[in-house]
Amino acid sequence: MSSTRRQRSALVAIFLLMMPLMLTSVSSTVATSFEENESGNTPEGIWSEDYANNVHPWGGDDRIQFKQYHDYDSMRQRMLQLAEQSYSYQGQDVEIMSFHEGLNGGINARDVEMTADSYKGHHYSHPSPWMKITGGGEDLEGVFGGECNDFVGDCGNYEDIPDVQMVGNFHAREWMSYEVPMMFLEMLAHYYGSVGVDNDGDGLVDEDPWGDSNGDGILDDDGDCLSLAAEYQDSNGDGNPCGPGDLGVDEDFSEQQLTDLVNTREIYLVPMLNVDGNRYDREEFCGENAWETCPTGGWRKNLRNNGPQPLPDFNEEVDEDCDGVDLNRNFQFEWGWPLGATVPLVPGTCTPAEDEQAGITNNDVYTGPYDTTDNDGDGFVNEDNVDGEDDDNDGQLDEDWAGGNSEPETLFVQDLTEMNDDDNNLASDFKMTLSWHSFSELVLYPWGHCTGCETPDHQQLIYHGDQMAEMTDYTNMQSSDLYPTTGDYCDWQYGVHDAYCYTMEIGTAFHQQPEDVNHIAVRNVGVPFYVLEIADNPRERANLAMENISQQNYLFLPTDVDVPESGDIPIDVCVSNQFPYSETNSFVKYRMVKPSRLQSDYGPREWATTPWESVQVERVDEACTTTEGNGTILRAEIPVSESATGKLHYKAQITTLSGSESIYPADGSYFELGIEYRSAYGNLASSLFLFVIIAGAVWGGLGACLRLMLSDNETIDAEVV
Amino acid sequence: MGQSDQFSGRLGLIFASIGAAIGTGNIWRFPRMVGANGGGTFLIPWVIFLFIWSIPLVIAEFAMGKRSRTGTVGTFRIFAGKKFAWMGLWTAWISTAIGFYYAIVAGWCLKYFQLGISGGLTGDGVDTTEVWNTFLQNPLQVIAFQFLVIAITLLAIWKGAKAIEKVNVILMTSLFVLLFMTLGLSLWMDLSDGSLDGALFMFTVDPAMLSEPEVWINGLSQSAWSCSAGMGMAITYAVYMRKDEDTVLNAFTMGFANNSISIIAGLAVLSAIFAVSSDPLATVTNGSSAITFLALPEVFAQAPGGAIGAFVMMAGFFLALSFAAITSMISTVELCVRNFVDHGYERQRSVLITSIAIFFFGLPSAIMWVKLDAAGVAFPEFLEVQDHIWGYGLMFSGLFIAFSIWKYGYIKWKKEVELGKAPPGFAGYLGVGVSAFRDDYINTGDNDIEVGRWWDLCLYLAFPILFSVLMLSYFGDMIANTEDVWNPGNPKGLGIILTFWSVVAIVFISLNKLLISRPLYRNVPEGADADISLLPGGDDPLITVLGEDVPVGELVAETAD
Repeated sequence: MSSTRRQRSALVAIFLLMMPLMLTSVSSTVATSFEENESGNTPEGIWSEDYANNVHPWGGDDRIQFKQYHDYDSMRQRMLQLAEQSYSYQGQDVEIMSFHEGLNGGINARDVEMTADSYKGHHYSHPSPWMKITGGGEDLEGVFGGECNDFVGDCGNYEDIPDVQMVGNFHAREWMSYEVPMMFLEMLAHYYGSVGVDNDGDGLVDEDPWGDSNGDGILDDDGDCLSLAAEYQDSNGDGNPCGPGDLGVDEDFSEQQLTDLVNTREIYLVPMLNVDGNRYDREEFCGENAWETCPTGGWRKNLRNNGPQPLPDFNEEVDEDCDGVDLNRNFQFEWGWPLGATVPLVPGTCTPAEDEQAGITNNDVYTGPYDTTDNDGDGFVNEDNVDGEDDDNDGQLDEDWAGGNSEPETLFVQDLTEMNDDDNNLASDFKMTLSWHSFSELVLYPWGHCTGCETPDHQQLIYHGDQMAEMTDYTNMQSSDLYPTTGDYCDWQYGVHDAYCYTMEIGTAFHQQPEDVNHIAVRNVGVPFYVLEIADNPRERANLAMENISQQNYLFLPTDVDVPESGDIPIDVCVSNQFPYSETNSFVKYRMVKPSRLQSDYGPREWATTPWESVQVERVDEACTTTEGNGTILRAEIPVSESATGKLHYKAQITTLSGSESIYPADGSYFELGIEYRSAYGNLASSLFLFVIIAGAVWGGLGACLRLMLSDNETIDAEVV
Repeated sequence: MGQSDQFSGRLGLIFASIGAAIGTGNIWRFPRMVGANGGGTFLIPWVIFLFIWSIPLVIAEFAMGKRSRTGTVGTFRIFAGKKFAWMGLWTAWISTAIGFYYAIVAGWCLKYFQLGISGGLTGDGVDTTEVWNTFLQNPLQVIAFQFLVIAITLLAIWKGAKAIEKVNVILMTSLFVLLFMTLGLSLWMDLSDGSLDGALFMFTVDPAMLSEPEVWINGLSQSAWSCSAGMGMAITYAVYMRKDEDTVLNAFTMGFANNSISIIAGLAVLSAIFAVSSDPLATVTNGSSAITFLALPEVFAQAPGGAIGAFVMMAGFFLALSFAAITSMISTVELCVRNFVDHGYERQRSVLITSIAIFFFGLPSAIMWVKLDAAGVAFPEFLEVQDHIWGYGLMFSGLFIAFSIWKYGYIKWKKEVELGKAPPGFAGYLGVGVSAFRDDYINTGDNDIEVGRWWDLCLYLAFPILFSVLMLSYFGDMIANTEDVWNPGNPKGLGIILTFWSVVAIVFISLNKLLISRPLYRNVPEGADADISLLPGGDDPLITVLGEDVPVGELVAETAD
């Protein structure tokens, strides 16, 4: 037997034994891929790979990821899927979404008998799909709790929860106008209940909420986009570095706020009102690649069969020259009074395509047919059109309209609005409404039907419009300053139902390039969140904000909180003396959290399941200083055990007398106050007792062992001797 | 024969094993755990688990090592069977992998001792955070102290058991003295404001905390980790036992000594902190390295007696800490070396190879990814990733030991049933199988204390339950609280742990065959009652005694073509 052989096998064994040692070096390379991200000013250097590459956390195919347009079928499919998904908040299952199409029907608010068929499109017979979204208030009763509405077909109606209506795609070819609501829906579905998510993977949580949250005039609140090399700052290529829609701008909003909004609002989201038109635009008029085939145009209206006149159109084919109604010219308010608008000179008429081509008139904004019925049965026809005035001086307002609300789609909006009356006051519950259109990068507010005119809420509407314009870097203007219209959705919502209403004119084309879908949607998706937030009382919010009253209110910072030696911890809110607070409906919400073994490693995520508790505030006779002078202190006494240590999270919910709620701090986050151990560290007698037991067991045990051992040693030594 | 390597006496073994058990965990982790888990409340589970987890496991280890007379690989080869020799490799690997970065941690302690005696931690304008950051961000310094620790360790174990024993006796005795000195000063400090609130806190039970599972889990993990139970260390040192050593008494002594030191260290640290800190609980629970290297220097600087008091306290404490770390380091390296020696390698060569490996594989932990946390304190992330991966692996070493015992009992019972000596069925198993290991290897007559049925209960009932609770709570916590937990690229996730574990396990299992084809040399002292034929692996012809040759015929048969 050779000794070299033996040596070789020894070497092999050593090598193999050393192999695991090599692992240590391997482990460095594994984690190095993480490491390189820490420095440098590339998107991958700051953010997670997913975020830097515009990959949304909800997975799915290119459509669901907004890399490609949805069509009607895939959109509807996705809505169904999201409605069936399970949702939970703080460990409690909540059903927050229910999917609907059209309405059930019945006798509507105008005493007209409607059926489910009344809302189906003329041509393809689809009712508009929509989503009802609500967490159902503090008790999380969800979208199947509360009152059910037989006419509308939804449940989850709560008298005290504000309702919001948001409608997209009135005009078939404006494809971004249903992609934005779809992205909004995806966000609600994905982030509901998951509090403390680090959306962009930079290690920080909720550091860059929607808009300019810290008031420094810069949207990128955390400055991460601004820290990129210049070449990366304008990731959406719109020429505005670190503007809305760019990576790193408004990217890490508060999921707590999102969740709270879902819980405290009833959202009626109609992403695609004009299904007929949209299908026609995609399938017939322009085709799938509409951005190439219809770069500047496309199908706009619904598919009402207008001709050929006067004979009925038996073959049911769409007559492109003549068919269709412009749904956003078909609402009843100031219907058919063009005042120089780009509408047919005679409302309700159809102009053949040849005339149109000859520039005679524009058939694309056909308002729908004249109404020929005597709506009030007084023997006159159309004697009191809907305009907010009693035109015939009969004491009734707007009771015999000239036309409008003639289409299945507009009837759907009409009845969804008018039949949603949780408080039975015979008025619509919607105080806040939003419609999506494209294009022009504008925020529009009423009026649309008149030039040089103002609504009574002119300043208020400008105020909120400015906020949304800032978020999107769009231009805020009165609708009619763009061009006067007639029968407009927003004019109708505001004029008839006293609801604030905005029209977002999204983007720069009817059919944007598919690669632009995502960043344009991102740029616009903050708006519906703002709309939700102000939906409880947009008028009051604007008034308080315009007079700089609500901005004065603040929650005391942790550094300004006096933790007493014993007892409850007072948390103060300073409110402006002009602020109409309601003591009984204002609270400080708190939770006490204690860092556990892994807390320092894993951050705030684990608090997501710790519920907030509320303590009502009480006015105390102490003054506080606001930016404008003196304020009033509202104080909540937070019960915290004296032997507790950890962090007290707190925020305030201050409610006005009319019921609009504001959360402080305003970005939806919370303050964190370190709580020290406040009680005595122990008392002499009991600690002496435990000391005797523990020390007795441990030191006594050691002593006994050593004694036993030593005596043992002696005997052993003796034996040895 | 005559080549066997032994401790000179019982105290040598005791000091060596206490040295192994007492490490930085007793001195810097224990006070932090007390602070974070309700003071005296924490002591209750911590003492309970000493008796039902740590001591029973150490008893088992001593008993196995005393018979097998080999390191972990040989012990598992003999007790768990040839197929399971890789478990010994796992045990050795985990200990060595921890050694890679433990040498660096021990180096930090030495550095702070050096800073303490040179006055670098006291005086006006000393910012302990800055001192710490400067040190950690200076790779040459960190490596120099890591090297120093490894060099000391190498010298200590170069010559074998007797040298290990001497070093441990000296270092451990000094550690006791230094700690008592520090404790005296701490109590004096705490008392100077009129109350001993640190001591009061440490011994006051908060009844509300007692029902918190977290407190019990922390008590268990502290007991499991700080005592080195299940690490294979006791197996290794048992190899050097004299022939008639009392394993049970040794295990108890070691456990009690370990906890005694913890109490002293806890009292010293907490009293000092409570004496000067305005929010002592926050200070004490504030991160693992922070308390030792950031808070304590600040606290010690305010020791009574001015500059001299501060000097004595600082130098004393960090020297004690260094000693604790070095003696643990010694056992870690020895555990690895013993396995090489068992397989026929020359001792000095094995020591050299292991030390060099520990130095080089420790380097990344010393210098890579030293970062600043949110509070601006430097921390070595690579080291923490290593700890994350291998720290939990320790628990499996303990599981493997229990497995060997379960297997032994089951086989013995089966055999006896075949011979008609034991009744079949569960009752028979309970009667013969469960107590088999205890009857055959623990209660052997060398022991003053007879171990009763309680030990079976601990090993067969308590161990699997507690093991599962620990693993589930750790991994459950991780899964619930970590984003991207399954991604093996996430250094804080579970994916990285499982990946490394499985690679190591696969490599080791595939090495098993090679391992058992090699001769194994046992370290049997003269006259010891440890004949191989009495052990479960007795039919393995390749096992022999150090100094004797393997039966030549067998080996030739193995290696001839």
